[in-house]
Amino acid sequence: MIRLSHVGARLGEREILTDISLEVATGGWLCLVGPNGAGKTTLLRALLGMLPYSGSITIDGVERHGDADRNVAFVPQRPETPAGMTVHEYVALGRAKREGWGRETARGRAAVREALERLMLMGLRNQFVTHLSGGEFQRVLIARAIAQEPDLVLLDEPTSALDLHHQVAALDEIEALRSTGATIVSTMHDITLATMYADRFALLRHGRLLLDDVPRNAVRAPQFTTMFDDRVRVLTLDEGFPIVLPTRDRPMP
Amino acid sequence: MPFGGQERIWHRGVAALLAVVLVLIALLAIGVGPVPIPFSEIVRSALHLPGGMGSQDAIVVWQLRVPRVVLAALIGAALATSGAVYQTVFRNPLADPYLLGTAAGAGLGATAAMVMGHSGFSGQLPLFAFCGGVLAVIATFTFAGGVHADPRSLLLAGIAVSAFATSVQTYLQQRNSDVLRPVYSWILGELTTADWNTVRWAAAYIALAIAVMLTIARRLDALMLSDEEAYSLGVTPRRLRFIAVAAATLATATAVSASGLIGFVGIIVPHLVRGVTKRATNRALLSIALAGAAFLVLADMGARTLLSPAEMPIGVLTAFIGAPFFAVVMRVRGVHR
Repeated sequence: MIRLSHVGARLGEREILTDISLEVATGGWLCLVGPNGAGKTTLLRALLGMLPYSGSITIDGVERHGDADRNVAFVPQRPETPAGMTVHEYVALGRAKREGWGRETARGRAAVREALERLMLMGLRNQFVTHLSGGEFQRVLIARAIAQEPDLVLLDEPTSALDLHHQVAALDEIEALRSTGATIVSTMHDITLATMYADRFALLRHGRLLLDDVPRNAVRAPQFTTMFDDRVRVLTLDEGFPIVLPTRDRPMP
Repeated sequence: MPFGGQERIWHRGVAALLAVVLVLIALLAIGVGPVPIPFSEIVRSALHLPGGMGSQDAIVVWQLRVPRVVLAALIGAALATSGAVYQTVFRNPLADPYLLGTAAGAGLGATAAMVMGHSGFSGQLPLFAFCGGVLAVIATFTFAGGVHADPRSLLLAGIAVSAFATSVQTYLQQRNSDVLRPVYSWILGELTTADWNTVRWAAAYIALAIAVMLTIARRLDALMLSDEEAYSLGVTPRRLRFIAVAAATLATATAVSASGLIGFVGIIVPHLVRGVTKRATNRALLSIALAGAAFLVLADMGARTLLSPAEMPIGVLTAFIGAPFFAVVMRVRGVHR
């Protein structure tokens, strides 16, 4: 169980997060939803334990900040692409936390191979990561997170560069981590896709939590459309799945 | 190269080959010079067999050439390894060991030693150069925001500190024109003053610095990622960056104080080795150290034989090769990667 109590965070003088309190069950998937600048990435960094925050973030009762032992995978929105490193080597970095730097075990090699296979990267494993397309590199990032066998996965827009087929394939593989007990916290601008995978939405605006609910309720709440200045429409498929679309109609003054 | 094993064997093979090349070049360098000494005589003397060198030749070999070759190897290894580490830490293929003000600081320290020469400080030039280099890097870190400064701030602060130290150095030289020539000669790099005493203290610092860099080499992978990713992989990026830069600076400052400014080794060698191994420079650090040692021993052999009996400053030779290479790297790889 991840529990946030009155979490606040600053970048310099600017207050980015204010009084955030919510809970994520172990093995759950929480999606942070909100417009640009809402504080989603900052909240992920606080959960990573790297960013100083006020209030409390506990994972299974242990304060997150300074708890370096916990195995947390992080998939950034804007990663660095290291020169001279192959896809296989890059994915194998995910094992460093479990096995130590420069060490290899049979278990680790198997985990790396499995991650490469699951993300359809075996054919690219000897390519340099600098030679990959944006979408291929995003799959490599997810493969590294899977190879890490983490307790907690933090994903910042993990599918923004992927085509439709690879979006679903990658999210299926991330979802499969839940069966191992991993908890997932993500940001995703494709809210329709997010409703298909996440089991909780946290709506953020200006660093404040507007609502925390199951996705189907959250997208139909008044706070959701307000959050996007009333420029979204929510449709419902026959199966009950919501589809969230932007609208060109300007709200009435 | 599937899943690790073959890659490791390949890396070890390259390192072993470079070690053999280094030994062969070193033996050649000991035999070559204004006074040619047959290699067979050197070997016989070393093995205490009859038919070895005469006493004068023995002095030339053991008191002049061997310490010079050993010092060249140490400095080459130090500069190449530091260059590779800087390139990794700053995610910049054109970063060199003098990036954070070491060279300019050492130059200022050397000039200060020369200016105060009448007070008996000129003999302390290496010490002054070492202190100048280290102080410049400390100033760079201070201006950039402390030991946990981010790479971009460090680069900018390094440029500012270098510019300041160079301006003070130029001012001192203008005010004391008599020191212009010896300082200029030192700036071009020289190994003519190599002796066992210099080798001893340089070896201690350089060995320590290279040992630290080799120990953290694989962790440096994490510094090629964003700080958040590095942290998620179990590394505290700012702490690791500081350790890496401190070790690389110790090696560079030692090299500069022992031999002056020898440019481009820190760029040429990592890129050559990377071209052969096709691997990130921090993953081939041992090979880079050995290649740097071999390269500088070879360059020094050229410096003392090409214009024999006169000597060419070794920094001139490495820059003569290095500048065109630098241009090719910029052209082919671009400065943005």
